Amino acid sequence: MANLANIENATNVKRPSTRARIQAIGGFLTNMVLPNIGAFIAWGILTALFIPTGWFPNEQLASIVSPAITYLLPLLLASTGGRMVAGQRGAVMGTIGAIGLIVGSEIPMFLGAMIIGPLGGWVIKKFDKSIENKVPAGFEMIVNNFSIGILGFILMVLSFYFIGPVIESANNFVTSAIKALVSTGFLPLLSLINEPAKVLFLNNVIDQGIYYPLGMQETVNAGKSIFFTVASNPGPGLGLLLAFSIFGKKAAKRTAPGAIVIHFFGGIHELYFPYVLMKPFTILGMIAGGMSGITVFKIFDAGLVAGPSPGSIFAYLALTPKGNFLGIILGVIVATIVSFIVTSIILKIDKRKEVDEEDFEVSVEKSKSMKSEGKQILNNSMDISQNNIQKISFACDAGAGSSALGATTFRKRLQKKNITGIEVKHFRIEDVPGDSDIIVVHKDLLERARLSHKNKRIITIGNYIDDPNLAQLIEELDKKK
Amino acid sequence: MLSEYLKGNIQFLEKVETWEKAIKIASEPLLNNENINQKYIQDMIDNININGPYIVIVPGIAMPHAKNEGGVIKTGISFLKLREPVLFPENKEVNILIILAAEDSDGHLDLISDLSSILIDEDVMIAFRNSFEEEEIIDLIKSVE
Repeated sequence: MANLANIENATNVKRPSTRARIQAIGGFLTNMVLPNIGAFIAWGILTALFIPTGWFPNEQLASIVSPAITYLLPLLLASTGGRMVAGQRGAVMGTIGAIGLIVGSEIPMFLGAMIIGPLGGWVIKKFDKSIENKVPAGFEMIVNNFSIGILGFILMVLSFYFIGPVIESANNFVTSAIKALVSTGFLPLLSLINEPAKVLFLNNVIDQGIYYPLGMQETVNAGKSIFFTVASNPGPGLGLLLAFSIFGKKAAKRTAPGAIVIHFFGGIHELYFPYVLMKPFTILGMIAGGMSGITVFKIFDAGLVAGPSPGSIFAYLALTPKGNFLGIILGVIVATIVSFIVTSIILKIDKRKEVDEEDFEVSVEKSKSMKSEGKQILNNSMDISQNNIQKISFACDAGAGSSALGATTFRKRLQKKNITGIEVKHFRIEDVPGDSDIIVVHKDLLERARLSHKNKRIITIGNYIDDPNLAQLIEELDKKK
Repeated sequence: MLSEYLKGNIQFLEKVETWEKAIKIASEPLLNNENINQKYIQDMIDNININGPYIVIVPGIAMPHAKNEGGVIKTGISFLKLREPVLFPENKEVNILIILAAEDSDGHLDLISDLSSILIDEDVMIAFRNSFEEEEIIDLIKSVE
């Protein structure tokens, strides 16, 4: 009946398509950012209201702005990213790594957090897997905590020393690139560097180092300068957020309108950053919008008398010299429209595949929390006497279908009877862990199970949902309760 | 969750000659949506030939599936219901086939959980066995999700 030679020789070859890989990464980024959008909005409102150039300047409340964007937002991103890879343990690792990055750098570490978060999660996940089943009983707690402690410490120090030089070289690159582009005279090209640089918080070096000096120089002679507009146009961000409001998915769609108010009217451009980080391709929309805006400004020979701070539409209008209003307003409008169109196209292409991704990611999360639930049950039960059944393993050929079904259903039955402290999991027959107390297989697979687990108690069933042997097992467990 | 995955992947037929054909037909939606490739269909059939019909999880309902050895591109699930049962090995009569394609051993636990909720509920099961409408099936699933 069972051709064991064939089974033993079977190797596990996984070949996901490239498209599937890209989709998976996109969904991953989205699910790292979206849950935290509320924090971004809270920060945006705070900033728009209370900074010195805000609507209701308030020095005390404004003191929250900087720590929040430096620490709160990146740590949230890192925590979420770590959680997605390795649950609560991953969240802790990711956050520990992030603080190293944050303190080691002078600019807010959004992207850095989105990298170190999952990376930290991955590190602890690999570690946990490598020591699985090798931890002596009773030492789990110590190992769990010190593994994160020590590995987290290393990650923290490494990221601290690593990030400084990385940012420095990024700054240098950005600066030289912008200088080169400015010298070509084709100012619209600047958006190619500006937009990505803004989202990565690398714009300060070019604002302070290049645009403002150039702008001030021109203003001395001409009374205005286009350089004050090249990175501050609120149009592209507005277009992007409008696109998200219409074509974005659920939470992104619902929060984007609020973000529009804070970005366009409050001038806090950072509000659109998380949306770009979620869907990196939309940077193309920003670049297109930026380029078209600058082009229009150039055509109308428009400029501002000073750098708008914050970059809101009000500041723009307030700093427009006479005769330039048409050019400035048109530049903002055109940039908005172009960015809206490009971003919408990108979002629409994505949308079809998003539903599946989201469900997939949600299911990954849920299955992970189910896993950690199982681990907790194991840790909680202190009684390790022989007579107690603590681990029941359902097994089948693939370890994915019928065993999973059996395990899930059995777990539900146990819950209904309020029987606790028993871990029920599913595996491939050959992968059933050595500390299982009972193994449950279909009767057709008994021989094969015996081969791998000679001395274990094996219960056979003919029906995964409602088998007399399972009913008997439940009664036995009920009595021991 | 399960209902989302099953939308558009539900078929109803009078009867099918052989259990292998039933699996092939039931798998078509997954093939068309590029969840699986031809190899997986063969894997599922081989699985039953090698290991026996243990995938008949409860009388009348089969959940053909196999290990992912390159056959599964994206997790997915499809459903085929026959008015007349088809005979699986060991004379097991089946009139509901639920094809499960899992990328790995964990990612689809929500689907499994939903499925088990249906199977564990007597009333839902009776309605499930008697229904021949896609809408009804989806509603039944939603009621236990």
